[in-house]
Amino acid sequence: MSQYLLEIKNVSKFFSGLTAIDSLNLRVKKGQIYGIIGPNGAGKTTLFNCITGIYTPEEGEILWHGKEIKGTPPHKIAELGILRTFQTIRLFAEMSVAENIMSGRHIKSTQKWYNGIIPTPAYYKDERKNWEKVGEYMELFGLSDYATTPAGDLSYGLQRKIEMARALAAEPELLILDEPAAGLNENETKELADIIRKIQAMGVTIMMIEHDMDMVMNLCEYMTVINFGAWICDGVAADVQDNPAVIEAYIGIEDEDEDES
Amino acid sequence: MNRTNMISLGFLLIMGIFPFVADSAWLAVGTTFLVFSVVAFSQDIILGRAGAFHMGHAAFFGLGAYTTAILNTHFGWPILATWAPAVIIPMVIALLTTAPIIHLRGDYLLVTTIGINIIFLQILENDLFGLTGGPNGIFGIDVVRLFGHEFFEQIDMYYMALILLGITLFIMKTLDGSKFGRAMFYINKDDVAAQSMGIDIRYYKLYAFAIGAGIAGAAGSMFSVQYSAVSPEAFNVLQSIMFFTIVLVGGSASLPGVLLGTFVMFVLPEIFREFETARYLVFGLAMILTMILRPRGIWPVKFGNIPSYLKKGKK
Repeated sequence: MSQYLLEIKNVSKFFSGLTAIDSLNLRVKKGQIYGIIGPNGAGKTTLFNCITGIYTPEEGEILWHGKEIKGTPPHKIAELGILRTFQTIRLFAEMSVAENIMSGRHIKSTQKWYNGIIPTPAYYKDERKNWEKVGEYMELFGLSDYATTPAGDLSYGLQRKIEMARALAAEPELLILDEPAAGLNENETKELADIIRKIQAMGVTIMMIEHDMDMVMNLCEYMTVINFGAWICDGVAADVQDNPAVIEAYIGIEDEDEDES
Repeated sequence: MNRTNMISLGFLLIMGIFPFVADSAWLAVGTTFLVFSVVAFSQDIILGRAGAFHMGHAAFFGLGAYTTAILNTHFGWPILATWAPAVIIPMVIALLTTAPIIHLRGDYLLVTTIGINIIFLQILENDLFGLTGGPNGIFGIDVVRLFGHEFFEQIDMYYMALILLGITLFIMKTLDGSKFGRAMFYINKDDVAAQSMGIDIRYYKLYAFAIGAGIAGAAGSMFSVQYSAVSPEAFNVLQSIMFFTIVLVGGSASLPGVLLGTFVMFVLPEIFREFETARYLVFGLAMILTMILRPRGIWPVKFGNIPSYLKKGKK
């Protein structure tokens, strides 16, 4: 058994000739908060999509507890204990907050194939247990008051919370957050950092993409910087901040912005 | 007791009293209304819940009807014995025919399911193995016999259809309160998010088709007994379009919506029979107006049916 929870080994992903990820390597330890940073279009979300099975990388290995998971379909990835949130919030907007979080309980539900048409005592017990869990997660995220409100009617900050509660309800080993602070104000961002710490304290390993550098430097114990799909450097916050290659990657982007304006 | 339960029980009660006030012509309309409601609900499992654009539902309805008709008239099975095959055969055929196309989305799936319906109709009209009776169909289907009693009167048909609807409503309630029904909604609302939560899209869509086809088959069996005859034109693509429209006009995944949809699309034309074909003009207009003014249906579905102990604060 590997000492790493997740290992990315020489992974490459191409889109019709374009290299989205270029032989990337990284290793996530159990219990870590791991940051992936880099300029826009660097391939961060593509990497997450490769891990969660939405894309299959053409080259390299993705090891989960030392076992290859490349090419595993997304629903099997979730069953393995890897859950995610999305950069653009993907909630079941018309459904209530409680029903959204209940989707996280799907893989934990023990209902049999015939329970879709025939209720049994075990089915009622399972339903009750999972709804109670949903209640606990709503409590944890301060969402109890909105239990029956359609998720799409709530503020952006609350929707981010619902998305995290939903993923957490599946009791993941690894939680993948794709820009959790995007669109949040300063207070909400602070609250989010506390929530992420709380999730870590529950024993969940976290991988996150984030552009809010204060938050990344504060939270992440280790991080990898990528640009144009390729590794630039990795290390703890202080090392990464001082790395000239990182500064170049970010300032390079700023130059381009100035040219446009 | 929640609202949906109250509406279902209230409806069953009203329909239970209906025969005491109706003459035999209206009783026949009522029976067909009940049977079509069952088919509309089964279409709603596939279309309204799993979100699969399925426009070949009359084929599964017809499979049930022809299963009963063929087993009874050609092989001499009593009607009661044909009920199980009339459910299982449509289920199996639904799984076999939709498994290769289940990954198709929206309009693509719609076209392929129309294709399934057309092939089914061709089989019926060409008298396959001399069993389906060609364009004329099959006549002389027996009545239900139980303990030496013959259920041949219109009122018997009516109450059998009502029991079938009751069973269907119970299945729908169980489905909606299970992880299967919810998984269908999640896939319908956002399939990428659903699969990231561990939901196997293929499995749950096929599940919807299997349950939907099984219920439609049961309704078909009832339909063949009610008219003691089956013929191909009752199961053509136009019928499939009608079931599809009932769900969209009434309100996808909404129990009262589907009942209203069936009423509007089936019973209203019967009421305005004296206007003959002119009524269909009003009808087409009504369909267009509903989709413009109420795109989610006359009585849209309301989510948030969660256990009462989770409801607090804002109501």
